[in-house]
Amino acid sequence: MVSKKEKVVEFKIRRFDPERNERYLSTYKVPTLMGMTILDALLYIKDNLDGTLTFRHSCRMGQCGSCGILVNGKPILACYTQVLQLGVGVLEIEPLPNLPVIKDLVVDFNSFFEKFVKIKPILIRAEEELRKPTEFVQTPNDLKKYWDESICVKCSLCYGSCPAAIDMEFLGPSSLTTNYRFIVDTRDDGLSERLKTASETIWLCTSCSSCTLSCPKEIDCATVLDNERGLIVEEGILVPRTAKDVLTSALKHHNPVRMSPAKRTEWSSGLEIKELPTTGKTDVLYFVGCLPSYDARNQEIAKSIAQIFRKIDVDFATLGNEEWCCGDHILRLGEKGLFEMLAEHNASLFKKYGFNRIVTISPHCYHTFKNDKPYTDIRLNVQHYTQFISEAFKNGRLRPVKAIKKKVTYHDPCFLGKRSGIYDEPREILKAIPGLELVEMGRSRENSFCCGGGAGRIWTEEATPENRPCVNRAKEALELGVEVIATACPFCVSTLEDAVKVLDAEDKIVVKDISELVKEAL
Amino acid sequence: MRYTLKVRWMETITHDIIIVGAGIAGLRAAIAAAEISNKIDVSILSKVHPIRSHSVCAQGGTAATLREGDSYNLHAWDTVKGSDFLADQNVAEFFVKQAPKEVITLEHWGCPWSRTPDGKINQRPFGGHSFPRACFAADMTGLHEMHTLYGRAVMQENITFYNEWFATSIIIQNNISKGLTAIELKTGEMHALRAKAIIMATGGCERIYAFTTFSHTATGDGMTIAYRAGVPLKDMEFIQFHPTGLVPSGVLITEGARGEGGYLINADGERFMKRYAPEKMELAPRDIIARAETTEIQEGRGLDGPYGPYIALDLRHLGEEKIKERLPLIHDVAIKLGGVNPVEEPIPIKPAAHYSMGGIHANIRTETPASGLYAAGEGACLSIHGANRLGTNSTSDCLVFGFVAGEEAAKYALSKDSRELPQDKILAEERRVFDQVLGSEGDERVSVLRDEMRRIMNDKVWIFRREDELQSALKEIRQLKKRFKSVKIEDEGRSFNTGLVAALQLDFTLDLAEVTIISALARTESRGAHSRLDYPKRDDENWLKHTLAYHTKEGPRLEYIPVTITKWPPSARAY
Ligand SMILES: Cc1cc2nc3c(=O)[nH]c(=O)nc-3n(C[C@H](O)[C@H](O)[C@H](O)COP(=O)(O)OP(=O)(O)OC[C@H]3O[C@@H](n4cnc5c(N)ncnc54)[C@H](O)[C@@H]3O)c2cc1C
Ligand code: SF4
Ligand code: SF4
Ligand code: FES
Repeated sequence: MVSKKEKVVEFKIRRFDPERNERYLSTYKVPTLMGMTILDALLYIKDNLDGTLTFRHSCRMGQCGSCGILVNGKPILACYTQVLQLGVGVLEIEPLPNLPVIKDLVVDFNSFFEKFVKIKPILIRAEEELRKPTEFVQTPNDLKKYWDESICVKCSLCYGSCPAAIDMEFLGPSSLTTNYRFIVDTRDDGLSERLKTASETIWLCTSCSSCTLSCPKEIDCATVLDNERGLIVEEGILVPRTAKDVLTSALKHHNPVRMSPAKRTEWSSGLEIKELPTTGKTDVLYFVGCLPSYDARNQEIAKSIAQIFRKIDVDFATLGNEEWCCGDHILRLGEKGLFEMLAEHNASLFKKYGFNRIVTISPHCYHTFKNDKPYTDIRLNVQHYTQFISEAFKNGRLRPVKAIKKKVTYHDPCFLGKRSGIYDEPREILKAIPGLELVEMGRSRENSFCCGGGAGRIWTEEATPENRPCVNRAKEALELGVEVIATACPFCVSTLEDAVKVLDAEDKIVVKDISELVKEAL
Repeated sequence: MRYTLKVRWMETITHDIIIVGAGIAGLRAAIAAAEISNKIDVSILSKVHPIRSHSVCAQGGTAATLREGDSYNLHAWDTVKGSDFLADQNVAEFFVKQAPKEVITLEHWGCPWSRTPDGKINQRPFGGHSFPRACFAADMTGLHEMHTLYGRAVMQENITFYNEWFATSIIIQNNISKGLTAIELKTGEMHALRAKAIIMATGGCERIYAFTTFSHTATGDGMTIAYRAGVPLKDMEFIQFHPTGLVPSGVLITEGARGEGGYLINADGERFMKRYAPEKMELAPRDIIARAETTEIQEGRGLDGPYGPYIALDLRHLGEEKIKERLPLIHDVAIKLGGVNPVEEPIPIKPAAHYSMGGIHANIRTETPASGLYAAGEGACLSIHGANRLGTNSTSDCLVFGFVAGEEAAKYALSKDSRELPQDKILAEERRVFDQVLGSEGDERVSVLRDEMRRIMNDKVWIFRREDELQSALKEIRQLKKRFKSVKIEDEGRSFNTGLVAALQLDFTLDLAEVTIISALARTESRGAHSRLDYPKRDDENWLKHTLAYHTKEGPRLEYIPVTITKWPPSARAY
């Protein structure tokens, strides 16, 4: 049971006074016992230190959804989080993002709730059936299919962390999840209506997984939204043209970018890179992926990594023109069948050729190889290239010697960080480069803010600049005063570079893949 | 200098019906009223967003007679017996007949009730019920009922929501209710609203106590608002104590945990309920278990913990799978708020204030003595629960009588003309709130007075009561009422002034504490949740009657009205 030991914790709270239209910071010292929640601490402050501090609360048991705030960048329910379990002495507390602040930690939930009304949070059934005197039958198994999604308390933690929700049109993770909860409910007859509502904005979701990570009820909204797009794609008619183009291209050309399959290896011409279809076996299977194969900017990354391999005599080979899109974006866009086709093809090659491990450039390839069937049916040894390099740094095979005297920040790609838990290797690499000063953005690691490229959005993007996550993110880096945004994903490189252009900041900041920095430093 | 606020109410807002409170009772009422006719203009006002209302915390279930083997008679009898014969039996009989319809209606609107293997609504046993009739949605019954009702209500075009509006008073003139005043929290403006009918659905007042299972917002505002406007409060001495409040926060561990087979254990490792209710054991009614636990603790058989002696609720023998499937919320709450994993350790608990049996006096049609004013839910007292409520009967009550209130108010409103608000009353209320409370120049802190009140109630008006302690509590509460006059609110702003809200709530609860004590002092018997150590027996000859407390300048004036008995003459209550 809880103990009586006390520790003093500092609370730095971001305040807003609506009458004076003034933002300011207040700092309080709170004696904390084991068992004390953040809400208890806020109440302690209000009762004993500062009666003007304003926040919402009611149930103090995680059920009413009133008390969502950001603590050290992470969205949490104040009443459902123990102070001492956070294990830090200073807590920075802010109101939830993506909603207007009324006062101090109180945000205006109106727009958030309007979105629930849009999805009709009630069974859709013919009126006369609603008059039946007995219950609709539903087996425990059918109930199980949507139960986990039904326990949402509408606290908006997911919404506050969602990069797509900077666009007010986006219905947001929780509303779309509630919509799905009704779709799956065997009693609901509103399928087509619900899919239509979802289809209007669901493509803004980037599958970044922030929602899933922040939900206090452990609802996996990110996967739900993937599934919901899946149902829309099955219906066919509701898919926007941009998304359709991506899917058609993947079907026809085995890449989402409408390029000829025969040109997949053009980036490597002159580099004499081995290809498995000719050699049959190798140590490292270098899975290049679509953007680095076809996109001029990203081909630089493909080359950098190849050069790094060369530098330390890695025995590596690509799949040559036999490589197909890994299918991740296709799967997230909801086209499961097409994903399977692409994945079956790659998987059959993985079975056919001999190699010891796969190294990918893209965190998306990495993630799908590690998590999705049919890839997971084969025992694959997959590494993201940052893991490979960090390992080579550690065992001394590779050494950065040339100094890069720059202030650099690192943008966590969602599929590498939040989805795969790889936060440290990229940072270790950057820190190992002489002269390089690594500065963290406010939103980093599991609280990182998505570049907006995932789930095919890189190709379907139509939002205005202020609604684009990449612009929002590039601004954050600019405000930090760094010269380089380093990242480790082709999609992040593309979107962020685009954002720098949109912001007209090309003379202030550049976007680099970590592999490019490493290559420079060798 | 304090900055005073100028004309805060502008024009009067008009609706046919205003519902104050958006918990289960309020939302159910709004839907029922709106469905009577799409010409009816319904509004619902709540100091928190509807789904932040306390009702989302209800865990264990909702009682309804649905299956063969059970009957209305049995449910009504259980309710009457549970009430220690203080329930009005006609109301209890009506209530049990309406409950099944409400459960089915919620099901049709999407409530994810837990199911039997053949797909019907599942039911589980609950304390004091002689049949497993608690319909449940795992242990998140209230959450699902609320989200279902909210979903239905927002889809209704003739319901207007005033979310985060804090009602401060209702206006009754010549015994006719006319409207109310409320502060819009976001702007801090006071508004006057008029309506032909008003429904009070403002919930319970458990926060007059320090250790309670209820939300911070359960301050019984509506009870005091009605009381001050001349409507009597009924049976306020009856406060239910739940046997299993989690130590240290008071968060509820549902009775469902015992329904599923959990044990109550004292420091000797003994299932002590065998000495108090040998037949029903851990499933005896709440008042009996809460008293048993208190006796165990007082006689030194509590377990020792940093927050004082406690009782152990042991679920370990149920096994991880059952705990996680049937009691997922309890599993989570015990870990996150109690620091124990119920799969591996017993949960530390003790009795906590859990239900206000008393409330705004209303009849079987939810009518209060004031024309056009209705009351439903926990804040009302229709005399279903009498001296002790059975678990899972409250949410059913909120549903059944929320519905009744909605219909009755709608019928009433359709037959009446619109009403004018007396301006002097609005101005007086404005002065009270802004000049006397917000503008008060004293030096008393709201939090100090509030904690003091809660401590007094916990120490002296708790499970076992005695004349001398009640007298001393009354004296202290009255001193606090005086001190409240020199309260100081640190926050001088208008927008979202939670300091002002806390002060107004404190003011309301002080009245309720006073009424509770006066009613408890007068009732010189022990019945249901009201246990007088100095009068340990039930006394049907003198006390088979309801207490009514009327507001006067000098304090509450008590009157009594008889209990309605239809089928079941009072008998001994043994389990
Ligand atoms: C933890 C817990 C578990 C429970 N489990 C069960 C159970 O399993 N089964 C069961 O039957 N009962 C259960 N109960 C009891 C039950 O939850 C309550 O009795 C019931 O929910 C009360 O509902 P209500 O609609 O009357 O009021 P509430 O849900 O309390 O709502 C009150 C409403 O009034 C509004 N309000 C109050 N004051 C003002 C004001 N001044 N101005 C404007 N609006 C105001 C509030 O904002 C709120 O919307 C449980 C209680 C607790 C504490
Ligand atoms: S996965 Fe990311 S973009 Fe999609 S809804 Fe969740 S938080 Fe928003
Ligand atoms: S999905 Fe989770 S985080 Fe989002 S509103 Fe619901 S409970 Fe909160
Ligand atoms: S206070 Fe209700 S969720 Fe935190």
